[in-house]
Amino acid sequence: MKKVLLKIAAIAGAVYGLLFAVFYFDLDGKLLFYVWEPLITKHYDRMKRKDNTKMPYDMK
Amino acid sequence: MKIKAVREKMKELFVVEKDDSAGRQKKNLKKTLRDFWYGKPHEERELGKLYIGDTGLYKHREWRGVKDTMYYFNMIWLYNYAHMVTDIMKFGGGPVKGVVNFAKGTWRYRWMGQTYLSVMHWFDRGLEGMRGPILRGSAWHYRAMVCETIRQFQEMFASDKNLHGGRESEQWKHNIAHNETVSGSIFYGFHDVLEDIPLEMIPYFVSCHVNNHTVLNYIDAAQSIGLPADPCPMCQAEYGLFVLDDYPDYAPTMITSNEACDGSVATSILQDWFLNRPLHAMPQPMRYDDPLVQEHCQREIEECWAFIEKHYGVKFDWDMYVKYAEQQNKLTAFEHEKWDVAANTPYYPINGVAQALYRIYYSQDGNRPIWHETDARVRALMNKTVKNKINCLPKTRHRAIAWSCAPLYYSNWCTWAYNCWGINCVINMDSLMFDQYLRTDTYEHALEDLAWYNEKAPMRAMAVGGHEHILSLWDYMERFNCDMVIMYDQLQCKGMQGIHGVFEDEFRKRNIHAIWVPHALPDKRTVSRKEIRQIISDYMTTVMREEPLDPTLVDFDDDASW
Repeated sequence: MKKVLLKIAAIAGAVYGLLFAVFYFDLDGKLLFYVWEPLITKHYDRMKRKDNTKMPYDMK
Repeated sequence: MKIKAVREKMKELFVVEKDDSAGRQKKNLKKTLRDFWYGKPHEERELGKLYIGDTGLYKHREWRGVKDTMYYFNMIWLYNYAHMVTDIMKFGGGPVKGVVNFAKGTWRYRWMGQTYLSVMHWFDRGLEGMRGPILRGSAWHYRAMVCETIRQFQEMFASDKNLHGGRESEQWKHNIAHNETVSGSIFYGFHDVLEDIPLEMIPYFVSCHVNNHTVLNYIDAAQSIGLPADPCPMCQAEYGLFVLDDYPDYAPTMITSNEACDGSVATSILQDWFLNRPLHAMPQPMRYDDPLVQEHCQREIEECWAFIEKHYGVKFDWDMYVKYAEQQNKLTAFEHEKWDVAANTPYYPINGVAQALYRIYYSQDGNRPIWHETDARVRALMNKTVKNKINCLPKTRHRAIAWSCAPLYYSNWCTWAYNCWGINCVINMDSLMFDQYLRTDTYEHALEDLAWYNEKAPMRAMAVGGHEHILSLWDYMERFNCDMVIMYDQLQCKGMQGIHGVFEDEFRKRNIHAIWVPHALPDKRTVSRKEIRQIISDYMTTVMREEPLDPTLVDFDDDASW
């Protein structure tokens, strides 16, 4: 039981340390800036969109 | 060669260059340990060296001493990421549905996927250099805005026809879409049976603060169909959303307003065209002091209620209105307490950007539980700072008031101004609008106050509501004990351009230190953030003859930054 608890504590500690490294070195920001944003903007640029200017302008 | 390139890249991304004096300091073990434990003194932080090129990203996030760094990591960074996930589930109608709708919305809408995932950097920019209670109080304000933003876009996504194969769900039938400038208080009488969601607040307004890249697409889209480029870029961006077909279809009707100024009328006309559904325009008088317009404004509100009753088949509920108006009054009462502390003491635990954004957000949005939760936390914190006389911004050299409408792409300029020059932006114009309690003793009083409340909306209250209101700056300067004005100069606001000269004369006559900050509201291409900093720094060195607190912040590039 003690071993299991120690193992859990060690894993939790490692995860916590890892998250701190992500935080401290701004890895979340770097991932979003260098990877996510260029990819997702390409997707939006290619997206087929309705031409709203074709909407008739009249009173119904 | 490749290894060298990788090493160079790693150096660029992670290594903060140290100069000789820093190297010498490092050898002093006692000082190093002290800096590690408490964080470096303000003048030694060199925050400007943390940035990677012009990206605004950090080589590493700031070390604020053990206590504040761990607070930032646990209670701001981790806490907010975790709560963003739970909010997405909670407001999306359950874990699976919430996550699926969020994923669909992220894939479909540029303003969502490009903007809001980088939200923690919005915190970083606004909270840079903050320590102790002001770090905590300001972060709670940011947390509330994030929570309410998630609530709004999850409500939109859950009922959005674009995401659900064109299906008009029950939720869609019970939503009211309205301009972001129509106050949430208008809908209190329907609050429990209908959901009012401002259409542009999340796709446009909040997005500019979090990631200002996104909005440029909408401004360009508006101009691409031949619409003029010189009106207010806020209006351009708002109708650009429609040109780009990037608005969620979540409600059967739309309610519009001419707030902030008559430029918004053009937005309403274009929205009427693009939305092609019942639309009710609820104008508010520009010169609202005229007693003759009060009754007219009240009738406009009643006509709006009649429109809702007609289209949704529900009756305006007076008791419901009273309940939520009284809750809102509690928010207003606490705002007055905050102003009192900000005006008369150095113990105010909220920085300039958190004050400005939180106030405009909640007073425009209307009563929601998250504002009360946040106010309770901030009240406890503020009681502590006042009781223990904790000076929250101890390097303050000047107490500034920011006047007119702010650059949305650089709302965190005041964090920079404090870190670099010791300019403490105590209050701003938009915080002072909506300064109106809503009486609930009789229907007539309620309607009268609700009309006044909406006449005191952002920009209308001071900027375009008549020169006597914009010139109330002098009274507020005195009330908040300010010795400096940061005068925003929205280059495309015809109303404010008209009174520019009067301010110039008055500043000279009254011998007031005023720094004009030109900008184009959401569009960072007209006047960049770097140029804004340059203008302030030039004034501080040439007129004030002062030295920067942190010289690394005087000149740096952040053109590519969110």
